[in-house]
Amino acid sequence: MLLKRLMNIGSSTVMVFGLVMTFGQAVAQEKAAAPAAPQAKPTIAKLCTNCHQAEPGNLRGNFDGVAYQSESIQIKIDDTAEILKFDPKTLQVKNMQLDPNNPSEPLRAIKKGKEVRVEYTEKNGKKFATLVSEKVAIKVRPEMLMSTADVEKLVAQGQEKGKYLLIDARPAPRFMEGAIPTAINIPFVAFDKMVDKLPKDKSMLIIYYCGGVT
Amino acid sequence: MSPNSAGRAEKIGYTNVKVYHEGLPVWSKKNFVVLSAQSLKEAYMDKDIPTVLVDVRPFAVAQKGFIKGAVTLPASDIAANIAKFPPKDKKPPIIVVDDKGGSEAANSAKSLIAAGYTGVAILTGGIDAWQAAKYPVETGNLATTIAYVPKPRPGEIAIEDFKKIASSTSANTLIIDVRSREDASLGMVKGAKVIPDMEILDRMAEIPKDRQIIAYCNTGIQAEMTYHKLKEKGYNIKFLNAKVTFDNQGNYTIEKL
Repeated sequence: MLLKRLMNIGSSTVMVFGLVMTFGQAVAQEKAAAPAAPQAKPTIAKLCTNCHQAEPGNLRGNFDGVAYQSESIQIKIDDTAEILKFDPKTLQVKNMQLDPNNPSEPLRAIKKGKEVRVEYTEKNGKKFATLVSEKVAIKVRPEMLMSTADVEKLVAQGQEKGKYLLIDARPAPRFMEGAIPTAINIPFVAFDKMVDKLPKDKSMLIIYYCGGVT
Repeated sequence: MSPNSAGRAEKIGYTNVKVYHEGLPVWSKKNFVVLSAQSLKEAYMDKDIPTVLVDVRPFAVAQKGFIKGAVTLPASDIAANIAKFPPKDKKPPIIVVDDKGGSEAANSAKSLIAAGYTGVAILTGGIDAWQAAKYPVETGNLATTIAYVPKPRPGEIAIEDFKKIASSTSANTLIIDVRSREDASLGMVKGAKVIPDMEILDRMAEIPKDRQIIAYCNTGIQAEMTYHKLKEKGYNIKFLNAKVTFDNQGNYTIEKL
């Protein structure tokens, strides 16, 4: 068990070091070839833009790995990788499930690929992480929840009288196989494309449903 | 998916957004669902997915024009003829057709739901809508007995085959877990790779083309979406069309939906 753990640490360290080197080489090459403005790297992954925007001093992407030995983390932002140094003594963590066996190295508890936000400061062109926050699952506020009985009542009244819009957020092929009466289909992935299907009156009752807790 | 959508709607200014979290699985235990003539044709008939299509109009009326494959069983006879339907545990998709998608269809559907069937659908607008859409009808004698033979969906892997592959790692196969990371972190198939369906097209570089890919989620819904996306990109992929429940010990149970 311990050996396995050490091996894991070993391989992730190597990986991060490997990329540190390539990153360093890339910087060296860039300096040698063109003193012009360096190309801006993205600070937010495409996926995160569904709900967030780029913010100065923040990176949003997928957690790739941590090396406590070299005090660096790697974040993947689509096709690019960002390496940030950190100080284990001052680094803050947020929304994280700490490993009780290893509370002093909280970043080890983050699964590879997990969506994270990293706050950083920049010194001499190098990014230094000050906070790492894991994405939390979207929680529905209790007052937003509707029961089957609530929906049955509205559907029995009909859309006109009930003054609601019932939206099936599942993919179209599933909607077509059968949906709650009076529902329209706006798959989650098509939210932006179909935003004109939402009512003009922003205070109108909108109810979303899907295939249960998938 | 619905909490995500609700969150987006609130973000752009909607102030009265609700979520029916239990969603369709709970709804369809107590209520019928609906589908349009176009949906009946495209989601079932064109894909050759077997259904139980029940025409509940009086026999003499139905004879003058009915949808191919329909079985005649007038609305007033449904409750007394539940035994004619395939066993509940086969979960046959039952589609009820009347003249206009009105109370005859609704009452027939309710009898079937009361008898324990789920996924009972009504054709919206009935045979009138079907004909208005210029879809073909047949005339003459309708079938009087239900012949329903469940058929795997395109790309579906047999549960036994999935179990076999999941229990022994092989260089020729790759199982991908297409649920959200939150779900996967609470328990997943050992050796599987987590790539949420939403990210699949952006992360194809991580999926080898020369291996048999098998996608699973916890309902089969997302896995089937992944199947279609990767199939189109030339992958050799199958998906598990079943309900999968995990515990945090790495154990799981698979249940045919």
